[in-house]
Amino acid sequence: MTIVAKVWIEEDCITCDACADICPEVFDITDESSFIIADVREDGAFNRNETKSPLKGDIGAQLGEIIIEAAEACPVEVIQYELADSGQSEAIEEEAPVAEVEVAAAPVSASAPVVDGALASVMEGERELVVMFGSQTGNAEGLAAATAKKASDYGLQAKVVDMDGYDLKNLAQVKRLLLITSTWGEGEMPDNAEALWQSALSASGMNLANTHFSVCAIGDSSYDEFCKAGTDWDEKLSAFGGQRIHDIQLCDVDYEPPYLLWVNEALSRIACVDESGTFQVELVDSMKEYASGSADDVADDGDFAPGQVQQSDMDISFKIFRYDPATASTGWDEFAFSIPGHATLQDALLAIKGQIDGSLTFRTSHVTGTNPLTGIKANGRIVMADTVRVVDLCTHAMELKLEPMPGHEVIKDLMVSYDEWQQHRLKSKPWMQSDPRIGDRLPNGMPMGAIPAAEATALHAINAVMSHQLIQGMSDCYDSDSKYRGPGLNLLEWARSQDPRVGSKQRKAIMESLQTHGGVWDEADLSSLSRHGKSGQIAADSLYDARSRLLAEFNFIGRPGRLAKNYARSVKSSGNVNETTLYRTVLGPFGLASNIMNGVSLRMLLGFTRNGGPIMRGFQGMLVPPAGIGKIPNMFNARIQNHHEVVAIFNEVDTRF
Amino acid sequence: MAKYSYYPGNAARQSCLEVEDTIQPMSSSLGIQLIEMPGYSSDGGDVIKQSNKFLQLVLNARNFAIAEENGHDIITACASAHGNMSDALHRLQSDAGLLAEVNTTLEKTTGKIFSGEIQTHHLLHILVEDIGLDTIRSKVTNPLDMKVAGYYGSMMQREGFCAKDDPFNPSYFEQLIEALGGTPVDYQSKTASVGAPSLLTLDKPVMQMTAKVLSQAKAAGAQLLVSACTLSHANLDSYQNKARKHTGKDTNLPVIHLSELVAFALGYHVDRFAQLRTRALVIGG
Repeated sequence: MTIVAKVWIEEDCITCDACADICPEVFDITDESSFIIADVREDGAFNRNETKSPLKGDIGAQLGEIIIEAAEACPVEVIQYELADSGQSEAIEEEAPVAEVEVAAAPVSASAPVVDGALASVMEGERELVVMFGSQTGNAEGLAAATAKKASDYGLQAKVVDMDGYDLKNLAQVKRLLLITSTWGEGEMPDNAEALWQSALSASGMNLANTHFSVCAIGDSSYDEFCKAGTDWDEKLSAFGGQRIHDIQLCDVDYEPPYLLWVNEALSRIACVDESGTFQVELVDSMKEYASGSADDVADDGDFAPGQVQQSDMDISFKIFRYDPATASTGWDEFAFSIPGHATLQDALLAIKGQIDGSLTFRTSHVTGTNPLTGIKANGRIVMADTVRVVDLCTHAMELKLEPMPGHEVIKDLMVSYDEWQQHRLKSKPWMQSDPRIGDRLPNGMPMGAIPAAEATALHAINAVMSHQLIQGMSDCYDSDSKYRGPGLNLLEWARSQDPRVGSKQRKAIMESLQTHGGVWDEADLSSLSRHGKSGQIAADSLYDARSRLLAEFNFIGRPGRLAKNYARSVKSSGNVNETTLYRTVLGPFGLASNIMNGVSLRMLLGFTRNGGPIMRGFQGMLVPPAGIGKIPNMFNARIQNHHEVVAIFNEVDTRF
Repeated sequence: MAKYSYYPGNAARQSCLEVEDTIQPMSSSLGIQLIEMPGYSSDGGDVIKQSNKFLQLVLNARNFAIAEENGHDIITACASAHGNMSDALHRLQSDAGLLAEVNTTLEKTTGKIFSGEIQTHHLLHILVEDIGLDTIRSKVTNPLDMKVAGYYGSMMQREGFCAKDDPFNPSYFEQLIEALGGTPVDYQSKTASVGAPSLLTLDKPVMQMTAKVLSQAKAAGAQLLVSACTLSHANLDSYQNKARKHTGKDTNLPVIHLSELVAFALGYHVDRFAQLRTRALVIGG
């Protein structure tokens, strides 16, 4: 709540009536100027209140926001006020407007609202709802959690159930079932759903006559088998005799809007299934009204506030990149306001958009907080706006500099285009292409799609990043080469190649793709990824693994291979790196010639790096054995003390060098 | 006197002997005792782990064990070396099983054991946090009197690797430059990579990354660029003509190492500093 302690009128009021129209309890217009009404002032005077007499009683609290609204509406900006807490007068400044911004408080749970007579018949007794998910990357799991949370608004007691390990027989005891699943690869079940699906395929005599259900399917319409896992379950549950209480919802990549449509309707209907398993369709409208009322109660009457989540308000200076495509102009906007530290970056942006500048453009997520496209560069960090907290970004100063994700074309302000990403993705075909199948089994006898749990865990660990698009933006060289697919896509490809279900032909194609131009060797420095938190570290580690595998499979070919082999041999031979030799063996004669032609060698020779040091050092860099011929000689490096220890380590760990 | 086990990295005693020329007297003036690590080897850079992560860990663990025998934390003037060592150290200190596995190999091959007790530091962080800017300021005899841009690079700009400095918007370099009598120049790409690990394998992108850093620093008014990374120094200095030819950007800027900057301001190598100042005045921004 905003409390105004004092309000007064500066000179030059044009008596336009705007303030009195908005807040007649405080402002009155005379021929001379707008005046502050006597009844609301402690001094009881009727004038512009030049003496800044405080407002009476709780008037500042009751009318605070309306007074501020009137002040902001004043075309000549003569209405000034002072907030109760800050003691600072509010004035609008051109470069850094100060605004009081309200951001949603930390989440709270609600006490149950009052149930009227009509709904009482369904609200009594057992109210369990099973929200079952099949999830490969966590999106469906996130939606299941969001659904369960929302279910309490409908008087349901939701239980989120992972399909992995679930006994199909138990499904017959479930009265209310909402099933959310993604589709993996070419129409396959997510890994955690595969075993249950196999059980369903082989089940006989299943009777779900007492089960009301609805399915939400997530997929990608660029695949032929769009949302197939969801439609398979929808048909299978119906075939078992289940009562479809709401039609299946198919969701594309931008799954949140259709999900919201589905969840509101599906919950309204399934909440009207009473204890006996009867669907009372006539109560659906009442249930919707009840649920919307309970949402208000969450804010007003929440009886649980997780104190560890809430952070005190922070006064932040925002500096935001702006791009207007209509005029092709760029610039920076600056805002300053107070915001709770627990607010996410997205909360802050929404607050700015809603209360300061409605034209600010950026991507948002509305439900689960896991939209992979909300990437933003904040104080140099590549983060997802919907999951990062403001308090975690302002660790060194109360400033937030926001820029669009690097490496992508800017559409407007902080919103970038992922078209190029999608084009590269379609070309690289990272989806599953397994070997030919016999029925629902592979030739080796393994069920289609099912892999041992340990392998599945390892497979997930390879690319367990929050967003592959985010990984793309972490690279410092993604925008330096139009053919480079970027680390995010290469990570997807590498993870796919490690899936034991991938066909040998596809695996070979992926490894060749990763090895050639556009692949993993085009990332100039993996440290530019690993410094961006856990996701960046996971991506970098996986891409190092990819490089190791490529070096082994392609037998150290090309410049990356020669560098890896000769670097290691150099360290093994002396304990240190012999740069002179490395240049010659890695670059080869053409590379050396390029350095000579481009002035690199001359610059070394002339000793720019020496700043006046002994000239022989410059010449030393020019002494060459013939490039790339013979074994690496022990040229200038003296062997280190206890060199045999290094040799022993190499001989023990890796004998290839 | 502050004592550290000195790890020169892959370049200071090879292609960048000017680092060795300056870090020793500079340290002596500031009360830093650099203790040799007998038999230290290369940390593996960003290269050995590309073919074998475990091999790189064992090589690093051997160096760490040598530092432990010295009884002092490690100091280095190279951001790449510091980044690589910090990464290895973090993995070993946060995973007891991995540490045990590495120690099994280390003991079998060298008889050494790394207990996981030491830390690694970059010279920049030691200067600002341990020695202190006031102490440094009081010892300046030859103020820089130039507009100087600091280059941090990406290798050590990571949570937990760069002391109390901000990984993405650091200021230690700027504070140090000011203490040495120079005018710090801020520019956008000071923590961006110049692609040093791929200098020999990727031409076009690395030259673009190098040109971006140099041209942005120069456009911001820098007369001199100082690198906290002895490996990246090769990109920024030896390859700046090539970077200019590839991109058409103005990359002509004197580039020196951190230890040179401090040593020059403390009064060492006045002839080199005079030559550098002349170059900076002629070609700097």
